[in-house]
Amino acid sequence: MSAGGPGGEAASVETANQVDAKGIGIGLVGIYIAAIAADADIPYLIFLAGIGAVFATKMGADAVRRVCSYGIGTGVPSIGMLALGMGLISAMFGLAFGAMIGVSYVGPIVGLVLAIAIGFVVGTLANKIIKLNIPVMERCLMEIAGAGVLVLTGLSVMIAGSMDFVVISEKVITTGYIAPVFILGALGILHPFNASLGPDETQDRTMVHALSCGAIAMMIGGVCSIAVIDPVAGIISTVIGLAIWYVTFMGFVKLVKRDAGAGWVGTGLLPPGAM
Amino acid sequence: MDPAMGMGLVALMGAAATVAGCSEDLESDIGSQSNPNSQVQLAAQVGYPHRIFNKAISGEPPSNAMYCAVGAGVAMVLMSESVMSASPLIAIAIGAFVAALLNGVFSTTSYLGRNASQTRFNQYVYLDVLRNQILSIMGHAYIATFCIVLISYVMWNQNLIGHPFPFPVIALIWGLCVGAIGSSTGDVHYGAEREFQDFKFGSGLNAADSGNITRFAEAGVRSSMDNAWFCSKFGGPATGIAFGMVVFLDNWRSTAFTEVLNGWGAVIAGLLIVLLLVVYNRKIETYARKKYGPFPEYAGDIEA
Repeated sequence: MSAGGPGGEAASVETANQVDAKGIGIGLVGIYIAAIAADADIPYLIFLAGIGAVFATKMGADAVRRVCSYGIGTGVPSIGMLALGMGLISAMFGLAFGAMIGVSYVGPIVGLVLAIAIGFVVGTLANKIIKLNIPVMERCLMEIAGAGVLVLTGLSVMIAGSMDFVVISEKVITTGYIAPVFILGALGILHPFNASLGPDETQDRTMVHALSCGAIAMMIGGVCSIAVIDPVAGIISTVIGLAIWYVTFMGFVKLVKRDAGAGWVGTGLLPPGAM
Repeated sequence: MDPAMGMGLVALMGAAATVAGCSEDLESDIGSQSNPNSQVQLAAQVGYPHRIFNKAISGEPPSNAMYCAVGAGVAMVLMSESVMSASPLIAIAIGAFVAALLNGVFSTTSYLGRNASQTRFNQYVYLDVLRNQILSIMGHAYIATFCIVLISYVMWNQNLIGHPFPFPVIALIWGLCVGAIGSSTGDVHYGAEREFQDFKFGSGLNAADSGNITRFAEAGVRSSMDNAWFCSKFGGPATGIAFGMVVFLDNWRSTAFTEVLNGWGAVIAGLLIVLLLVVYNRKIETYARKKYGPFPEYAGDIEA
């Protein structure tokens, strides 16, 4: 990376397959349970879509971590924006496709498939045409785009309380709540690695941080949904988001303490020899 | 709308934008975001561990877009009839407060995370650095977000300007705009001028000097507060004027010339403003080059 150490494959404790399985699995299951429950007039389970988005954020952040370890320094923020750009197009296409054929439940899966396809094309372009030659590029961009779709769909479903494209476009897009969702989703994917950039970055710290960023997006999504759907359901989402944020943030601080070792000081002069 | 009322709104927005721009720039200077960030980040690696607040919440445009979009989103929730129909001013204040809290969280995680990732270069995590600067960063972020969400509200409100975009989307766009201007105008003052003020004009910039940005201040080791003091004298106000001019001139031309030539008047006025500014900037640049350059030992280009 530009700021810290030679580029190369990032050291991981949790493998990419494990992170992806959790991200896609929990992401889709959460979104579907939330939407089905909301359609059955039980809006209180809508927070599950937010939890899906939190795990999807983690999947995106892990992909950013792996691809950016190959020396993409200032590109970290750009890649997060790219994720949500691909994600927004695919998510809206998927939901609109579901509305078009009259089965709104196919929306997230169509969106996910399209995002993975777009991610593959973009990754191939970057690797083969621009010749970045990063071995994990295609896979990581597919994961990032997939994470973008799941984050956007999850938070949109959480705010609108439905998977129907017409409802989402009326309650999330026309009202403008898509703006905080979009930017918080993007920062959730790019910020964890960007904030830990350096040679002593560790995977567990970055991943806990990703969960806490996802929880912030869930919290703000919950606040938005107070005005849109049932206030109680919105408050439940906000409180659960806040709880996840608190636990993961404290976990992050603990891991920083671990990684900084003797360098975690209350105050003090610069280390010996620094002047 | 009454023309006097329209001009009043344009003036209000210009003033709010000036404050927002200045505050945004100082916020990013205290946190060493954007332009100086890579120099601060690299300092430990070139042998200069430091006590500077080093936060990188992506680039400035996305991070400011986040504060403003969140501030506007929360304000809109509070203003909506189904929640509490709060008065716009209170709603915007609370929205900006929530945005400032997010700013605090993101700044904390980036300071802790980045310094912990530099452990092998002897970079410590100083908790007093975090405690001393974080409230100042959040305070500046609050002012910037409040002003920008206010501008967006004035643009969005159907009784005032009545822009067709939704409120949080307008705030997102202005947030991106102020971040971009702060990053390109004010941060140069910190990133380049602060570090290289004792270098001769045109002497070139050596990468090995990068870490110097974290070294000596007017008294003692440099801290982020020294940087805010330095930048509040020029970089911050310059950003404020730049952003204020963008908001003011853009709204002024569209308010004053909308009815000229069926709307084309505003387009022509915009083109004229851009042309004038290009010429003016070119004049300043050539003036500075003639006045301060070239570097004394410069003896023509050397063939490679």
